[in-house]
Amino acid sequence: MSGKPPSEHFRLLYFASAASFTRKSSDTFPAPLPISDLFSVLEKKYSGITKAVLDSCAVTVNLEYVDVEEESGKEKAGVVIKEGDEVAIIPPVSSG
Amino acid sequence: MSDSPNVGHRQEEECTSVALTHDILNPLSIIAEVKSPKAGAIVLFAGTTRDNFDGKPVTHLEYTSYPPRALQTMLSIARSVKEKHSLTAISMIHRLGVVPIGEESILIAVSAPHRQDAWRGGEEALEECKEKVEVWKLEEFGGDEGGVWRANRDGATGVRVADHKE
Repeated sequence: MSGKPPSEHFRLLYFASAASFTRKSSDTFPAPLPISDLFSVLEKKYSGITKAVLDSCAVTVNLEYVDVEEESGKEKAGVVIKEGDEVAIIPPVSSG
Repeated sequence: MSDSPNVGHRQEEECTSVALTHDILNPLSIIAEVKSPKAGAIVLFAGTTRDNFDGKPVTHLEYTSYPPRALQTMLSIARSVKEKHSLTAISMIHRLGVVPIGEESILIAVSAPHRQDAWRGGEEALEECKEKVEVWKLEEFGGDEGGVWRANRDGATGVRVADHKE
């Protein structure tokens, strides 16, 4: 989509409200990163984004949905975002 | 954005087709896609863009998408609706980018041996799309208010484009 991320990074795609909030269509972040840490990494970079946007969003990793809430509740490490992965923030949809 | 203008996206398999496009939608060509001598009924749904939201005038409407994810969702909806309602064929296409008021933003055509299956299959395909397909609608109301990203699941509220401060 937006080209390959640099080595040891992954690309995070923003759509709709997430793109408006960040004023970008994507970012790259260092990998590996446990998916349970994704929202706090974003909150650090974009203060207020969790409440305004992320709370109502889903997340995909390489096009597959991952339950971030469930992952955050796990004691042991769950899904980890790897180098080169394409991760996306998916706001509530409005097709039609 | 991630979807570059004028690049079409399409996935097809037997009697099933899903697509995203920046072009004007053509109801006749989607009907032709599902037409079959085995089918006695074709149902076409055309969703068009409204000039207001709850009475507030909408000046401008724009759709954006995550194309590979959206196509995957559309294809899985098409497959399951086709199977469930014994459809002969199903075709769905969603328009992206700016869609002028009154033009079609989505077309769904289904064919079936009999009309009951075609009606029901067409309705279910649309409802599933509105709930799940990774396409987002931006409504511009003009004036100082700015645009709003609509959410189908709650309808009434949306996220303002310029809600946060730098």
